[in-house]
Amino acid sequence: MTIAPPMPPTDARRAFFDARRAFEAVNLSVRIGSLTLANPVMPASGCFGPALGRLIPVAELGAVVTKTVFGTPRGGNAAHRLTELRAGMVNSVGIPSRGAAGYLAAQHPLYLALGVPVIVSVGGHRPGEYAPVVRGLRGAGDAYELNVSCPNLDRHGTDIGSDPDAIGTVVQAVRRETDKPLIVKLPVLVSSIADCAQAAEAAGADAVCVANSIPALPLTADTRSPVLGNVIGGLSGPNIRPVVLRLVWLAARAVDIPVIACGGIETADDALDYFSVGARAVQVGTASFGRPFAMVEIIRALQERCEGAAAADIAELIELWRA
Amino acid sequence: MTGTTATVAERLAVLRRQQAFAAADEAALAGLIAVRPPERMPRPDPVWDDAAVLVHEVVGERYRRLVLASATIATTALAGQFLMITVPPALGERILLPRPMAIHRRHPEQGTVEVIYGVAGRGTTALVDVGVGERLLVTGPLGRGFEFPDAAGPDAAGPRPARTALMIGRGVGVCAIMGSVEDAARLGIDATVVLSGRSRANLIGSADCAELGATVIPVTDDDGSSALAALGERLRGLFAGAPPDVILVCGAGVLARLAAELGAEWGVPVQVSLEAHMACGLGYCHGCAAPVATDPAVEGPLVCVDGPVFDAVLPAG
Ligand SMILES: Cc1cc2nc3c(=O)[nH]c(=O)nc-3n(C[C@H](O)[C@H](O)[C@H](O)COP(=O)(O)OP(=O)(O)OC[C@H]3O[C@@H](n4cnc5c(N)ncnc54)[C@H](O)[C@@H]3O)c2cc1C
Ligand SMILES: Cc1cc2nc3c(=O)[nH]c(=O)nc-3n(C[C@H](O)[C@H](O)[C@H](O)COP(=O)(O)O)c2cc1C
Ligand code: FES
Repeated sequence: MTIAPPMPPTDARRAFFDARRAFEAVNLSVRIGSLTLANPVMPASGCFGPALGRLIPVAELGAVVTKTVFGTPRGGNAAHRLTELRAGMVNSVGIPSRGAAGYLAAQHPLYLALGVPVIVSVGGHRPGEYAPVVRGLRGAGDAYELNVSCPNLDRHGTDIGSDPDAIGTVVQAVRRETDKPLIVKLPVLVSSIADCAQAAEAAGADAVCVANSIPALPLTADTRSPVLGNVIGGLSGPNIRPVVLRLVWLAARAVDIPVIACGGIETADDALDYFSVGARAVQVGTASFGRPFAMVEIIRALQERCEGAAAADIAELIELWRA
Repeated sequence: MTGTTATVAERLAVLRRQQAFAAADEAALAGLIAVRPPERMPRPDPVWDDAAVLVHEVVGERYRRLVLASATIATTALAGQFLMITVPPALGERILLPRPMAIHRRHPEQGTVEVIYGVAGRGTTALVDVGVGERLLVTGPLGRGFEFPDAAGPDAAGPRPARTALMIGRGVGVCAIMGSVEDAARLGIDATVVLSGRSRANLIGSADCAELGATVIPVTDDDGSSALAALGERLRGLFAGAPPDVILVCGAGVLARLAAELGAEWGVPVQVSLEAHMACGLGYCHGCAAPVATDPAVEGPLVCVDGPVFDAVLPAG
């Protein structure tokens, strides 16, 4: 029942694609280990899919990050899997995954076609489960982000990423599988983010990502019963920004490897907050749902800010503010 | 009912009834839902657009109608598809997630679409403040809509295009089926549309159905005509000996079950449009699990890309 339009009508999306312009005097590139990204803006794991390639100019992104891939297929949690409160959005998707083989067959080709570096997020329920997933990916991906914000079934469900020893075990094991850059994505609820980041660095990680969503319990307004099928979920969105900003600041002082900030970023100003406390790159999650083009807007705005201030890069821009 | 004069016991009774109704409505879908076979028509590519709000008005006692200008969406949307509407920041309220809304009407010549919504929670309450002349960020058209499947022909004559359709909508669920009423009018399919709601003043779609030449059966809670048993008997009587070629339904789990029962009795296919909490609408956030039991190691279908329209088939036995 498709009604063929006489002329392809124009829409705001098309105008947005066309509005791209070059910034010759600005260099936003950033290095994550051996990988150089054209700019420091990428999606947060689970908040991006190749389907967005039709809606936004994905080629302008620094990289894309996949949803976390586990070794064996997982179904995901019961409905409802997400909701929105005044405090932010809460999700308990439960990371459904087709496993490494399923990812390679069904998803990876779609990511590759996007034409930007692909960072594959890898998960496990035990420290020993990460390396086999990376092996199972058989070299696919330009870098791996190790999502250690998963309950450790070997340690009564405490997050792997809240335990510096477990982080070290994971990174060392994965390092033996691959020379590609490794990013360790840390949880928010840790007793010392500095210890966790240093454990990752000491074990051979090339960057840390700070942080994942914050464990939360959303209730319905009327009967005060749990909204989510899984009862608890992860809080994300702009309200977590000050919490994560503190963690990024602490982590950036503790390690020499780049810190990738992730938490509540919606605008270039939010990203600059994180850059100003030492982040070298940023990930955008929740903001993309309401504004699919948010990441590209941030990249373009960062370029404009630098150009406007005659700064060659973000570090110079920040220096100029401070001066 | 929940006025201040009601006793705690009375108010508790009302709440329990509401909860029992919601639970029954959810339970009614158990075992009923199946992903539809691949569509015959290619699905249009979704876009996002800054759609001008041309009309924003009160409809009946509980609903509001938006007329949005987006030529791309208006000319490509298929019946039963939906939009994700980003609610702009209102006074003191930030709404992070866009809200899925059915495309109620498509006006390709004017380059507009209509949406009707009920003011339910924070999202829709904030949407009320959007003024005519402002722009709303919308993404669409999304999802797999309703289709008129070919009907089995007499004897060995083979399948033939559908000639008649029964459509059942309740509350804002009417919006999901109105695109099919439009298609029926264009294709010369004889459409009978059950519009269900709390009261006459709360029925959506009467004027649209009149304009599109569909036969309307209004049923309401206040006179008992929307009760499942009464509605079932009425439809069995109405279609006795000449069942419709297809049943399309949206708005309540119990209505989907009734439709599936009728479909089984009459031997005709039933399609149902479902709701789920959504974030992306595009299939990547995995937030909108459909109520389909699957192997725990396999992710079930997603309402936004595998639906929102599914087949409704009574479980065997
Ligand atoms: C495919 C589809 C089509 C829809 N079409 C319409 C329509 O035409 N008219 C209309 O009024 N509503 C429609 N809805 C429901 C609508 O998206 C709103 O979510 C619902 O009205 C709740 O309003 P709120 O945002 O004010 O609630 P809030 O309390 O602010 O919502 C909190 C969270 O719960 C979710 N949520 C709450 N109730 C529902 C629900 N019933 N369905 C889905 N998510 C819900 C919200 O999306 C949000 O994430 C549709 C939903 C889907 C999935
Ligand atoms: C729907 C949804 C799914 C997510 N899935 C994953 C995931 O698979 N792996 C992961 O490491 N983080 C996941 N996250 C967390 C995000 O990557 C991010 O760390 C978090 O949302 C904070 O960033 P934000 O405030 O910008 O959203 C998910 C978040 C959301 C909202
Ligand atoms: S709403 Fe994101 S997968 Fe369906």
